[in-house]
Amino acid sequence: MQIIVNTVVLASLYSLIGCGFVLIYRASRVVNLAQGELMAMGGYFLFTVAMGLFKEPIPSFLVASVFSVGLGFIIYFFLMRFMAGESVFAAILSTIALGILLRGLITLIWTSQLWHPLEKMGITNASHTLVKDAVISTFGIVTVLSAFFIYLALFLCLKFTRWGLRMQAVGENPLLASRRGIKLHNYYALSWGVAAFTGGFAGMIQSCDAILEPGMVAIGLKTFPVVLVGGLDSLAGVIPGAFVVAIAEVIAINYISPQASEAAPFVVLLIMLLIRPWGLFGTKEELERV
Amino acid sequence: MLKKGLFGMVLSVALVAMFFVPAYAAPEPYLVGAAISITGPGSEPLAPIKDALDIYFKDVNAKGGINGHPVKLLIEDTMNEPSRAATQARQLVTQNKVSLLILAGLSSLYAPVVQVAEQYNVPLLFLGVCPPETYPPKADPNQFCSTAFGMKFDSSFAVPFIHEQSKGSSLKLALEAMNVPLSRNEIDWAEQLAKSMGIEVVDKEVTPPPTADFTPFATKMKSSGATWAYSYGPWGMEVRTFEALRKLGWKGKYLAYGHIQAEDELKRLKDDDFYVYGTNAFFTDNTQAHQRIKAMSEKEKTVYPYTQLTDGWIGATVIEEVLKKVPWPATPDKVRESMNQVKVDTQGLKGGPIVWTKTNHYRTTGYYRAYKWDSKKNAVVIAKDWTAIEVK
Repeated sequence: MQIIVNTVVLASLYSLIGCGFVLIYRASRVVNLAQGELMAMGGYFLFTVAMGLFKEPIPSFLVASVFSVGLGFIIYFFLMRFMAGESVFAAILSTIALGILLRGLITLIWTSQLWHPLEKMGITNASHTLVKDAVISTFGIVTVLSAFFIYLALFLCLKFTRWGLRMQAVGENPLLASRRGIKLHNYYALSWGVAAFTGGFAGMIQSCDAILEPGMVAIGLKTFPVVLVGGLDSLAGVIPGAFVVAIAEVIAINYISPQASEAAPFVVLLIMLLIRPWGLFGTKEELERV
Repeated sequence: MLKKGLFGMVLSVALVAMFFVPAYAAPEPYLVGAAISITGPGSEPLAPIKDALDIYFKDVNAKGGINGHPVKLLIEDTMNEPSRAATQARQLVTQNKVSLLILAGLSSLYAPVVQVAEQYNVPLLFLGVCPPETYPPKADPNQFCSTAFGMKFDSSFAVPFIHEQSKGSSLKLALEAMNVPLSRNEIDWAEQLAKSMGIEVVDKEVTPPPTADFTPFATKMKSSGATWAYSYGPWGMEVRTFEALRKLGWKGKYLAYGHIQAEDELKRLKDDDFYVYGTNAFFTDNTQAHQRIKAMSEKEKTVYPYTQLTDGWIGATVIEEVLKKVPWPATPDKVRESMNQVKVDTQGLKGGPIVWTKTNHYRTTGYYRAYKWDSKKNAVVIAKDWTAIEVK
């Protein structure tokens, strides 16, 4: 039972991080390789807010979320905006440069030390027993619930709100959308804002459930196989992709070798690329575009 | 005429003062080059070394330097990138003409920097992990190490410590390493050692460097029925696994290698069954050396807290002792000669002196100590006092 709980928590974390990859890709066809850094920035925002502004967890999370969204907008308007019309390759390279810049900023501002935002907020990460001795931490529950509600909210917004429909239109046919009066840059920026929020929120939870350190950015890159397995342009594909990768990792740890868990996501990815290169829920044409 | 002559004399004196007096006023410095991982992945235990070297030699220079010469530190940030470290080492040796090279980085940086040191025949002091090339009986003539980690020696303290602490009660040991050579090799050695002592090793986990959640590994360790766990790797891995085990309700005892963060972390965790061991004394000892580090750190407003500066401070003490015996002008050969026979009083920061000989550039005796949190005393206490391990 504990193995199932572990898998669900891990898959939820991957879903939260992976969500950002898909949102940006769907809107602007850019693969954001700085998603791990956006995730880490969320954790550092929370730490900074908890240190200086609020000690209580809820206001701290809210303010840090606002900072994360703001960072997404800033990145778009001051960097990615200038990549509009350039080749996809150039845009991807600029996200790599962005990642290096953010990593540098993290070390300059917060140093290489390990931090514990939870301590600053004065709360503990208690354990809760579920059925049959299966245990989950408070922030494990927060991870699962956040993934559930964020995906639900995104689904509803993309399907039933004006900005959601426009965002989809911008992703599918930017030229037509532009002719219909939709301001493309605003919707691209929105996708960066939401992606920075979901990634950042995952970073906030991770820093509370574990530790806050610059090395956290590597988890973002580890999530990349998740979105490729699910389908790079499919938000709904991230969840099954996350589960497939998490199951592969947990099976490797328990039944093959703990060391194999490092390779497991990439083995799954390779198999997927051989069988269905566009992913579980991705569209075939997208492959040609990439 | 007289006026002209006087003017000429004054001008001459002024010119002499301008060009020659400063040369006497500021003696040439001892040049020490350091490639330190201040930023980059895995830099958290290494970056504070820069702080410690900076404040130590600022103080030394303020007191007149060594043998009348100041020490000039040329510090480069390797960002834990091997190619970058090699380029910086080459620049320090060839352009800056340093007499001593320091490396504080991950083990992946060792080979390229060692190659540079060997090529230009400059002594290399490691302030990160001590490579086996510094060990006796055949220490590399160019490589020296003053810091804490020592493969095979660390677990030679840790495993018997666990055995002793279990006091005849059922001992089932789980081991944990990170999937990097240093950590994995040490845990393999610990497993071998434990088995030779009759300890039942029930589980061994080797975790990947980017691990999002340690709970799956902890679940396996818990379900193995381990009563003790021993973890050897980066602090983040050690402490996160311990916290994951506790979240799962594991009641066993845990021993981890005590990195620079250990003292503060024991106070944060407040768990009576969490032990750390290492070769440096904690600030709870409050020796004069500890007080000096604390005062200097506060005065100079170091980036890292004073509790994390011990390793760098000891390294700086060693450098000072070495340079004291180097006659001016300093050359790499003279520095190496001095390093081959040095005995450094660590002033209570370690269990004994650091002694290097021609065949041993690690230390002739390693001193280990274990600490834990004591809830009754509400303080960090010594779980086992200095234990000497001969390095042969």
